[in-house]
Amino acid sequence: MKNNITGWRDVYSFTLAQVLKSKAYRITFILLVLMVLVSMPITGKLLFNNSEDENALSPVNKVYVNNTTSYTDIDFKDLESTISFSHIEFEPMNKDYDSLVDHIIEEENSSVILNISEENGAFSLHLSMSKEGQIKRAHLQRLGDALLSSFTNMRMESIGVSDEQLLLLQTPVVSKVTMTDINGEEIVDENTSISFSEYWFVYGILFFVMMTTMLTGTQVATSIVTEKSTRVVEYLLITVKPLALMIGKVFAMLTAAMIQMLSMVAALFVSNKISAAYAPEKETMLSQLLPSDLFANINLTNMLLCIVLVFLGIVFYAVLAGLAGATVSRLEVLNEGLTLFTMTSLVGVYIGLGAANTLMGSGTNAFVVFAFLFPLSSPFVLPGAILVGKASLPLIGIAIVLQLAFIMILFRFVARVYETLILHSGNTIKLKELFKISKSI
Amino acid sequence: MSLSVKNITKKYGDKLVVDNLSFEMNEPGVYALLGTNGAGKTTSIRIILGMLAKNGGEVLWKGQSIDVVNTNVGYLAEERGLYPKYTLMDQLMYFAKLKKVDKHTAMERIKYWSDRLDVNEYVFPAKGKGRKVAKSNQADQLSKGNQQKIQLMVALLSDPELLIIDEPFSGLDPLNTDLFKSIIREEINKNKFLIMSSHQMPTIEEFCSDITILDRGKVKLQGNLSDIKKSYGRVNLIVKCEQDIASYIASFNLRIINKTPSEYHLRVEGEDQAMAFLSKLIGDNITVIKFELREPSLHEIFVEKVGADQDEE
Repeated sequence: MKNNITGWRDVYSFTLAQVLKSKAYRITFILLVLMVLVSMPITGKLLFNNSEDENALSPVNKVYVNNTTSYTDIDFKDLESTISFSHIEFEPMNKDYDSLVDHIIEEENSSVILNISEENGAFSLHLSMSKEGQIKRAHLQRLGDALLSSFTNMRMESIGVSDEQLLLLQTPVVSKVTMTDINGEEIVDENTSISFSEYWFVYGILFFVMMTTMLTGTQVATSIVTEKSTRVVEYLLITVKPLALMIGKVFAMLTAAMIQMLSMVAALFVSNKISAAYAPEKETMLSQLLPSDLFANINLTNMLLCIVLVFLGIVFYAVLAGLAGATVSRLEVLNEGLTLFTMTSLVGVYIGLGAANTLMGSGTNAFVVFAFLFPLSSPFVLPGAILVGKASLPLIGIAIVLQLAFIMILFRFVARVYETLILHSGNTIKLKELFKISKSI
Repeated sequence: MSLSVKNITKKYGDKLVVDNLSFEMNEPGVYALLGTNGAGKTTSIRIILGMLAKNGGEVLWKGQSIDVVNTNVGYLAEERGLYPKYTLMDQLMYFAKLKKVDKHTAMERIKYWSDRLDVNEYVFPAKGKGRKVAKSNQADQLSKGNQQKIQLMVALLSDPELLIIDEPFSGLDPLNTDLFKSIIREEINKNKFLIMSSHQMPTIEEFCSDITILDRGKVKLQGNLSDIKKSYGRVNLIVKCEQDIASYIASFNLRIINKTPSEYHLRVEGEDQAMAFLSKLIGDNITVIKFELREPSLHEIFVEKVGADQDEE
């Protein structure tokens, strides 16, 4: 075994150095980091651009009230206590409607008309504004909300309902069904589901692992096919065994991908800090988007477990991609050879996604546990689940053991067929033929 | 005994591509592995190098099973194998590192061989402005011949004890062919063990003392080249005369191997028949300009051995 992997470090250092030196890697790296750097400020700008300070003065200066209801003493005094609306003057509509509209359009576009009507016991508040001027729909919406609230209070007062009574009326009624045991003790059913923001966090981790896996796998496969098609492999194999070649490549590509991914994470945090400048409460984007209790689960043990899981997952998929790469002889047909790798990783990703959805919808069940343990899906979904506190330590332990076992089985298979594959030139070797080769050795 | 190949066999599915190949190299020198295309030469070389698993037999180097990791072997494959986009220096240093040659020694050897093979300008390109390096130091910018030179450098970087060269002169012009030949001679003089595979029979005759001819995986002919030739005897007769000698050839029932405007290349049964033929020509006052009786060339032996079987089939 020792001889089989002797020299992998030399392969590793050379491959890594060449990847880091390559123009394609550098350009991709710079572009990705730049994109991530600007992502949070742009998102913040888009989300908060239209929001304004709650205390900012409304551009509405006067409201003409056209009241056609039975209530005659509508005054909207409540609004005087609100800073943004305190300056607004309320005036009953004395002109006819059309001339007032003309007047507002031509001379007074900071004024609006409030039509209060009553039909079959239902009230309607309708605001009209000029197209010209500074007033926007959002301003009118805020004013409308405030007017509605004031109007409701006024109605309640008029029928003799106090504030306390109103509050009592508005208190929601909650119903709860519980189960009890034979002694009448309530059986507490632990809530294992995740919130919407936790789901997006798990999804984000899954996407990140998938990107790294795909990137590493494709690079390993490309590198192997390049060495095959340029015949370099013949010169390498007189010094190192095929397995050492594969291991060196897998780890080099893994390192290159990790450098790229970790730089993106670092850029994300920098971008997040910058985004605070655009948020109304100077809150960063991540603090608004991430689950509030996330940091309760981020500790050294959980982080290490996540890293181990992701690492093992990437190694597994990269070895699979390496095997796929060895089945073809030319770069042009690499896609054909990578079908097995792509299909397998997609199966893992979809099972992971399904588990994340199930977690949000109904909490942990048999399918979720399967997804946590199944070596194809566990690297995608389990790290996220660990960080939102939905995976127990024994479950994680079993998942890691299963992952290791899967890698060992794959490595044994690869070790058997790789020597034959690496020197093969010609048509793409199919899965059936791979098993045939494995049996014949 | 230094290299011993014993009964190596290789199958791809049901197809036997190497069938019980055995030979030994007890002394330094050049051993020739010959055969038609697809005869199993490259597969045999890969097995000898330990690159490819075999179905039977063993390859011993100094009495021990050959092991790629611990044996210092140099290999020049028939097809060039260089990374097209990496710099030549990076590649040479990488191959040296894999061969466990330390950095300092590797650099010295790279300098020596670059000089010797006249590829300095590619291995040590002049730097352009700033940090920019000329593109000519990438393999895909080199001619076939220069790539072959770099490949030979790779094979010699570790100063190997056993050197396997497959079609070493392909793609080389006459000047570079001579350069390669002189390097091979140097290696022989350094008491190295060489295995050479080539379709250029005169080159094999120039360098090799022992040969194996493979045909579809089977050993067709094997042994010391001089002994093989001797066993055929001097049966090749080249005659050049002023007059036409066609009627004499017919009367002696000699087989014409080849006929040029000035010469006949004939096959005789032995020296006695050749001498009788010469006496007859002289007796009849035919002016003989050239009369050469020699052993068959390796080319002729090869064609006879392999060609005959293929004709039969």
